[in-house]
Amino acid sequence: MKLKHVFTLLVFVLSVFSSSSLIASDTTVPFGIRHYDIGSAQNFTLSDIDGEKTELDSFKGRWVFLHFWASWCGPCRKEMPKIQQLANNMKGEKFQIVMVNTAEDEDTVFQFLASIKIDLNSLLDIDGQVTEAWKPRGLPTSFLINPEGQVKYQAVGGRDWGKPIYINFLKNLLRPE
Amino acid sequence: MLVVYNVQAAEPVVIKTPEMNIYFKPRTANQMGAFYEARGFPKEMRDVLRQQCFITVGIHNKSNKKIWLDMSNWTFTVGGKPIKREPRDTWKQRWHDMGVPLSKQSTFRWTLIPETLDYLPGEREGGNILLPFTDKRIGITATFSTGENKQGKKIVIKTDKLFCAQDKE
Repeated sequence: MKLKHVFTLLVFVLSVFSSSSLIASDTTVPFGIRHYDIGSAQNFTLSDIDGEKTELDSFKGRWVFLHFWASWCGPCRKEMPKIQQLANNMKGEKFQIVMVNTAEDEDTVFQFLASIKIDLNSLLDIDGQVTEAWKPRGLPTSFLINPEGQVKYQAVGGRDWGKPIYINFLKNLLRPE
Repeated sequence: MLVVYNVQAAEPVVIKTPEMNIYFKPRTANQMGAFYEARGFPKEMRDVLRQQCFITVGIHNKSNKKIWLDMSNWTFTVGGKPIKREPRDTWKQRWHDMGVPLSKQSTFRWTLIPETLDYLPGEREGGNILLPFTDKRIGITATFSTGENKQGKKIVIKTDKLFCAQDKE
């Protein structure tokens, strides 16, 4: 009888522990992403390599993954296929990837994107001034902007966005609280 | 003309403490010239840059606390005498005065080490330091604050083993 109580208690403790671990893993910010509550995202309008203009504010209502990169930056090149994986994983979600190339010309960006065979388009910050205004800590840097247009997180340096830890974190952001 | 090269000149210096790793890698004028030429930098800009001593710095925070980079807490010596490093703003003004396109100014700034940066645990970042070219020994003393509010112990990194890297002629 005493043994049965100990067993029941053990099962109870384990179940509480495991459920709290699950909650923690859902809300924990993965390594390399930091809270970055700086208020409203600074709006901009830039053209992509097809000449199509995009305004950042037009994506209000969804989470935005704003990514600054350059083709000469090694970690940026390495990270690009991972962002494609992220895009594939987030299809159908209220989630928008916005890539901004920093201070390179259209030909350079076009050649680079073609050479790595990805579907992602990029906006062109030809004179680098939008990047300057956003002040990323380094290249590459990604910002996460919530549907209300508030900057919430920053990720510096290249990372494997296709990994479940990042996908789960981002999908969790999309869930209503 | 007899040119004597110090074979140690282009050797990187790596310093490891329990909290952080830091490396200094001197780059030659040709290395940096090629890098900037490939980025479409105008010749007059590259000519200025070729006269500088480039040292690439990489910093890795191995601790479980924030480490704060503040370049104003770094001192430099040449042959034992203090020298000044030109910070970003000085370069910005110079490029502006030379009429360098904004895109090239921006790319140039991205290749420099940030003036200030807080390194989270596990984070690695770096960039280039530019000093006036010299064939003398360079000394660097870099002081880092630690902890959330910079109240933790200071980390002081010192090296006097650096030389500007030179291309063989």
